[in-house]
This record gives sequence, structure tokens and C-alpha cells, in this order.
Amino acid sequence: MSGADAGAGTAEDAPDAESGPSLGYERHTTVIARTVVRVTVPIILLTAVALLLQGHNQPGGGFIGAVLTATAFVLVYVVFGQAYLQSDLLGLDTADDTHRAVEYYRWLFTAGLVVALASGLVPLAFGFPFLTQAVAMLEGLPLYGHMEVASAFAFDLGVYFTVVGGLLTVLGEVGTE
Amino acid sequence: MLETVLAVVFLPFVGAALTPLVYRALGERTAYYAAAVAAVCLALVARLYATGAHGVARVEWVPSLGVSLAFYVDGLALLIAFLASGVGVLILTYSGGYMHGEPGQAKYYATLLAFMGSMLGVALAGDLFALFTFWELTSLSSFVLIGHYTTDESSQYAARKSMLITVSGGLFMLVGFLALSWAGGTTLIAGDGSLLANADATVETLRTAGLFLPTLLLVGLGAATKSAQVPFHVWLPNAMEAPTPVSAFLHSATMVKAGVYLVGRFRPFFLAPFDSGDHGEGEAAAEAAAAAASALPAWTWVLVTLGLLTMTVTAILAVGATDIKELLAYSTASHLGLIVAGFGAANTYGAETGAFHILNHASFKATLFLVAGIISHEAGTRDISSLGGLRHDLPVTAVLAGLASLSMAGIPPFNGFYSKELLFESMWYLGEEFGGLTWLFPAVAVFGSVFTFLYSIKFLSLFLGDRRPSLGEVHRPPVAMLAPPAVLGVAVAVISAVPNVAIDAIVGDVYASAAVGEAHSFSVHLPTELSPYVLMSAITIGVGALLWPQYDRIHDGIRSLLRGPVRANWWYDNGVEGLTAGSKSVVPRVQTGLLRTYAAWALAGTAALALGAYLAAGVGLPAVELAEGTTVAVVLVLGVALVGAAAVTVAPSHVAGVLTLSILGFMVAIFYILADAPDLALTQLVVETLVLVIFLLVLDRLPAYYGSPERLVAARDAVLSVAVGGTVFLTVLLATAGSPDSIATRLVELAGLPPGEHHAPVFFDYGGGANIVNVILVDLRAMDTMGEISVVAMAALSVLTLIRMRSRGEAR
Repeated sequence: MSGADAGAGTAEDAPDAESGPSLGYERHTTVIARTVVRVTVPIILLTAVALLLQGHNQPGGGFIGAVLTATAFVLVYVVFGQAYLQSDLLGLDTADDTHRAVEYYRWLFTAGLVVALASGLVPLAFGFPFLTQAVAMLEGLPLYGHMEVASAFAFDLGVYFTVVGGLLTVLGEVGTE
Repeated sequence: MLETVLAVVFLPFVGAALTPLVYRALGERTAYYAAAVAAVCLALVARLYATGAHGVARVEWVPSLGVSLAFYVDGLALLIAFLASGVGVLILTYSGGYMHGEPGQAKYYATLLAFMGSMLGVALAGDLFALFTFWELTSLSSFVLIGHYTTDESSQYAARKSMLITVSGGLFMLVGFLALSWAGGTTLIAGDGSLLANADATVETLRTAGLFLPTLLLVGLGAATKSAQVPFHVWLPNAMEAPTPVSAFLHSATMVKAGVYLVGRFRPFFLAPFDSGDHGEGEAAAEAAAAAASALPAWTWVLVTLGLLTMTVTAILAVGATDIKELLAYSTASHLGLIVAGFGAANTYGAETGAFHILNHASFKATLFLVAGIISHEAGTRDISSLGGLRHDLPVTAVLAGLASLSMAGIPPFNGFYSKELLFESMWYLGEEFGGLTWLFPAVAVFGSVFTFLYSIKFLSLFLGDRRPSLGEVHRPPVAMLAPPAVLGVAVAVISAVPNVAIDAIVGDVYASAAVGEAHSFSVHLPTELSPYVLMSAITIGVGALLWPQYDRIHDGIRSLLRGPVRANWWYDNGVEGLTAGSKSVVPRVQTGLLRTYAAWALAGTAALALGAYLAAGVGLPAVELAEGTTVAVVLVLGVALVGAAAVTVAPSHVAGVLTLSILGFMVAIFYILADAPDLALTQLVVETLVLVIFLLVLDRLPAYYGSPERLVAARDAVLSVAVGGTVFLTVLLATAGSPDSIATRLVELAGLPPGEHHAPVFFDYGGGANIVNVILVDLRAMDTMGEISVVAMAALSVLTLIRMRSRGEAR
């Protein structure tokens, strides 16, 4: 608690000229939080992608990966604020104080649904029922040597994008409020 | 045959879809385009008739559910189809003149064509559900057409009324259909293996279940509402708000015939056990029937009573009418009553009456409606008291009106006489066969017919006598408006002159469709000797002629009687008003706009349904025992979760509440870890974290604390919480009583794998994944996952919409 107070104090004392108006987050969060988040967010994202990729054989999958990804974004939002995420990370114009990133999130879950649907429709072309999945074993690859490619991964990817997009849309909108 | 039938039914719909485009190109001449579409349908129906098509034609619709789109072609179907397409051609041509300069013509023609298609569908449907679908489509198009003048208050009222009455009747009919399809094990109406083919067995099943009379009444209710039988006749006079061609087409010649069509179609079914009366003719039939008849069939007493009551009541109302279209509307209901009574009678003549009168009524009533259209269009009024001596201005129309109204009055040698004579004959034999109160049938038939005679002559008198001074200039109608009634008038004349040709051509087949057992050929002729029913006709005409000079006094007398609850309309208006007021007073209780009210209702409802279902299914409580692997750690973790849950209820603020709640969530996650469910644990942990953040974001907006609730509210909430908690607890107990083995078996079964012992490897072999949870999610039950991600996307969209809408509202 005292740490937070001290951090807030420091932020208020710090000169604004250096950081500029888009870095208002310094007023609310501590150096410790910012540093920790800076280190952990990439790790979280990596873990999320790993969970997504290994989902078919080990604990994980599209849904967990997606929720974890959303958590990473939440950390950025909470610690750095939406302006930072938009202007510095996504390179968006934040002049009119709207939450432009939500437009991207919307595209994300639409794309996810499309991918999932498409992965379900492909089997129809081969005369299998909707959403039939198949597995192919690839041998003799460089580095990997042996790799299993499951068509279910395409579907999982759809799940991943839909859930990430959906959660971030909700978070972004509610957060803006 | 199948192609022709499909073309007949769907061509009008295609035509309707194209109408807006055509209207852009042709403008008012769209009428002739629509008439051309109808003419093609007529030609196709004629082709069906000429090739002697008969029987079932079907296309698979939803093969996996055993639903097919079946059509059935026979005499009755062809007659109704002829009426729909033939009168359709005439009406659409006539509309070209009548609708000149009227608004909304593209909509008008499109709806008329769609209606025609639906009516052809009703006529040709060979499947209960196809019939029902087309049936409701006719109601729908009738609604649009009655409400043609959309800004007109009375036209809105009329459209709503017809919609309410006919559609709700249709729903009752649907219930009847469900009973029929349950009892018969098929939805086919006629043909091999259909309801009609197995009528005896199906009726027996219905009787054993005690459903025979209810089914009869339900189907009858559908027919009665559609065919404007008492007391549902109230919508028909209001429906005259529609443009006159619509009244002539829907509300005299075709749509209202759907009800009698239904009655005719199901007559052989419901009368199947009583087919003794239909084997022979005349006295032989009467004798055979007298020997076999033990009691009046339910079908007969329900429908003959309904039909005769309608015929009489609406004939009286027609005499009380002040507007020519109102008069014709009531008379339509009256004649429909006659047809229903005919089909109701359990003897040969009954079926003959119905079959022949469908044709006769369509011919003379459509003529009269078109004549009425000419009068209102050219004379500018429909008020009976201000019309008279129109023959000076409209000579050709006067001849047509004379022909048609004499036929309607049932005066020999016009065609209306023959079918009315058949009604008297069948009513007389009913009395003779069953005796007692059934002698009322012929008496009432004569009584009602007297009024029919009176209003028919009244309509004719509009053209006779001196020209009323109040009438302004009366124009000659354009050819497009005169030709259609002329064609119909010629039809009346032809049927009158050579009725047996018409019978041989089509009425005989119609009769065969409605007859029980073997049908024979029949013929009509002018009476040569005195028989009871000839006497009945004579009485009708004689008494009618005697009463004619008193017409105005009778008219006034009827109008003075029509007050308050005597009018069926009073019941309708008050009923609708009461329901509206009732709904309005209920809404504020249910729709409070407070989230807690909705939550309370939803939760209580779900709990009640679930508990009720458990009770109804009679499930017992499974034995609760400590599961294997219950270690100290598990007990400890769950114990902490419990403490967390208890702490939530006493938390002093929102933030504290949410934080304590997350203790519960994280403990559950730890429990998953201890229980060897890493996937669940991962998900639970991450979701818990996210939810916590969202909660904290939202809490910022809520008031600081709940305030102290009222005692009553608190008690209600406590009861609700206990109920919901209990339900969930019970559900979990019951749902987990099944062992995981059976879940695996079920999944294997769903995946279409060979049954037998399967363990985890089966998932590996089948789904190519070692993570069972994920293989289930993305492979075995991928369809469910698909649904779930759609829900996620939907939820995101709703949040987006809600919040955006609110901010937009605030900005305004």
C-alpha cells in the first residue's frame, strides 16, 4: 500500500514535458508495476500461443490461449492505459478520444468465426460431414523431423480469434466507459 | 403431373416477387401482367384436368425428418384451383379498371398473386403441414389486402380483426392436425397410406383415446373461422374495407372457400364409420341408412347445426344491411353456411349440395361483387337506400345482376335453385332418417332461405323502379370492368341452362372427393312431381314473395334488435379491448425495467422448471459417498472456498465482495489441479482473473453500497437463493451420478466408432490428439464449440451495441 502511495507521489512529481500527453499512465501506476508488466506481457503472450499450439496433445487449446492473451491486454490496459496501447503499440490515431482499437477487435472475432466456419466447410468439399477433422503426419522435416498436423488446429485458431476478439471488445468498450 | 402441380403453385409466387420490377416498367398495366400470370396458372390447371391427373405428387423436402411436400389432385382440389386461377384472371383484369389512380398498386398486385399461389397451394396440398402453411399464407395475404389503405383507421381495424380470427382458428386447426397425424401415423391427407385411406383405423384410434370429438371440433374451428361461420362471421363484413376486387376474389369466391374445402376434404374421414348412407340412391339409401343408423354422427350434428345457424343468422343480418357490400358479405357467410350444412349431412345429397353449391356460389357471388364494384365506382355510393333504378344507366350490368341475384335467391331455373333443392332434399332425409329433433333441420333450412330470397330480391331492386333523385351522374363502366362480370354471368347462365353438363364436367368429381365410400354419378333436373323438398322450395319462394312488401319494416326491425350483446361484434370488441387492457396492466408488473426483477423471474422459473422436471421424472436422490482420492488437501481447499462464499454475503462493499468471491474461484481452480484436471484449472485461473478485472471496471460505476433492503424483499431474495442453490446442488448430484465410463461410451457412440471397450487411446486414434478435453472440444463435439464461439461473438456484439447506443442517446 505504501509502495503504491510512494509511486503515485513520484509520478506527480515527475515533469510532464518528458513523457508527453499520451503517457498519462505515469500518474496512476508505479514503476514496479510498469516494469513487471513490460517483462511479463511478452511471456504471457508467448505462453498463450504455446497453449494454443500444443492444445491438441497437451493441456491447452484455443479457448485458454485466447483468455490468456486477453489477460495480457488487460494488464497493458490497466497499467499503461488505453491511450498507450493504441498510439504506441498499435499506432492508431487517438486524437478524437474514441477507442479505435475496438474496431480491430471486431474484425478479429468476425475473422475468427469465418475461419472456424471455413474449417468446418472444407470437409464438405470432400464429401465428409460438416466439421469433420483429420490428422496428417509429416515426416522428415528440418529441425522438427516429425510433426503432426491436425486440421482441428484451423478450427482451434478460429476459436482463438473469436474469443480474443470478443473478450477484448467487451473489455475495451466497458473500459472506455 | 408433379412438374405441373409445382408450376401451378409456385408460379404465382415468382410472379409476385417480380411484380415490383414489372410495375416500374409497366405502371398501371401491371394488372394485365398479373392477369397473364393467372391465365398461365389457369391453363396449367386445365391441363391437369384434361390429362385426368389424379392422386399424389410429392417431392422430398426434409428427407431426414421424413417431411415431404405432397400434393393431391382430385375433383375437389381441381375445382378450387379452377376458381382461384379462373376468377383470378377475371379479378386481375377488372382491377386494371377499378384500381385506376389508386395508391400502392405494386403491393396490391404482388399480394393478390401471392394470395392466388397460397390458395392454389391450399387446394392442391396433400400433406397436413403443407395445407396448414398455405392456409396461413392466405390469411396473411388477406390481412395485407384488407389493410390496403394503410392510413385508414377502419381498414386497419378490419385487417387486424380478420387476422386475429382466421389465424387463431388456423392454430386450433393445427392442433387438430397434430392429433390426426399422431393417430394416423402419417401427415398425408389422401392417397395410398394416407389418413383418408386408413380412415376407419385412425378414427378408431382417436375414439379410444377420447380424441375424436375434440379433433373434429378443432378442425371444424379452423374451417368455421376461415369460412366466417357464426359466431366468427364478424370479420367478413369488415373485410369489405378492402378494394372491391379483393372482396370479390378473397372474400366470396376463394379464400372463404378454404373452410368449406377443408370440410369437404375431411368429410369422408370423419364420416367413415357411417358410410352406410352413401351406397345407394333415394329410398334404397334411406332404408339402408335407417337400418344402420343408430345415432346421429357427431360430424353431422356439429356441422349441420353450425351451417344452418350461420345460414339463417347471416341471412337475417344481410336483410338488415344498409350497404351493398355489407349485404353481399353477410350473404356470402350465409351461403358458406349452406355448403357447410350440406357437407355436414351424412347422406348422398349432402355431399352433392356442397359440391354443386361451391361452383354455383362462386359464379353468382363473384358476379354480384363485381357488379357492386361497378355501382360504387360509377354511382359513387354503396348505400342501399340511396340507390335505385340503375337499369337506366347501367343496362348491361342490370342484366348480369338480375341473372346472378335470381340464382342467389334460388329461383328456378337458375343454378342456385338446383343446389338449394339438394340441400332441402338432404335435410329432409336427415329428418326422416333420424327423426325427433332432426326435423328441425329442414324447418330451419326453409326459414333461413326465406331471408336469402328477401335480400337477393333487394339487391335486384337496386336496378328496378325509378331512378333516385339523390343519384348523381352515373358513368358507363370501362370494358375492363364490364367484361369479367359478363364472363361470370355467362357462366351462371350456362350452368343454369345445362346443369348436368357442369356436373359431368367437374361437380361429379368434387362430389366423389367428398363422398364416403363409393361415389355414383348424379344429375339434377327441374322438378316434375310434387315431393316434400319441392314443397319446401315453394314455401320459401311463396313466403318470401308475401313478405317482400314488408321488407323495410323487417329491415328496421332487425336493425333495432342489433344492440349490445346480441351482436357477435360486441363480444369481439369487448374481448379484444379486455385483453388489451389486461396485457397493459400486466406489463408494468413483468417489465419493470429493473434487472433484479428479470433475474428473479428467470432464476425462479428455471429452478421451478428443473425441480418440476425432476419431480415429474421421479428421479431419486443418488447415494452420496466420499469420492476416491479425497485427500486432506482437497478438503482444505474446498473448506477455504466455503469460507470465501460465506464471506461474500457479509462483505461490506462491492470491492470486498468481488475479492472474496474470487477466493472461491481460485480455490476451485486449485481443486481442479488437485483433481488432475489441468485444462480446467488453467481455464478457471485465467477466466477468474479476467472476470475480476471486468468486475472492478464495472464496479466503478455502481453506487457505493446496496443500502438496507426491505424485509419482504430480503426474505424473497433469501428464498430464491436457497431454491436456486438447491436446484444447482441437486442437478450436480444427479448429473454426476453417471460414471465417466458412460460418457466415454456415449462419445464413442456419437462418433460412430465400433462399440466396446475404449479408453483414452480411442480419442488419440480418432481425433489424433492426446488431450481428451481438446479432442472433444474441437472434434467430437465441434458443433457445440461452434455454437459457443458464436455466443461469445454475439455477447461482444451486444455489449458493443448497448454501450454505443447509450452513449449516442446521451449525446442527443
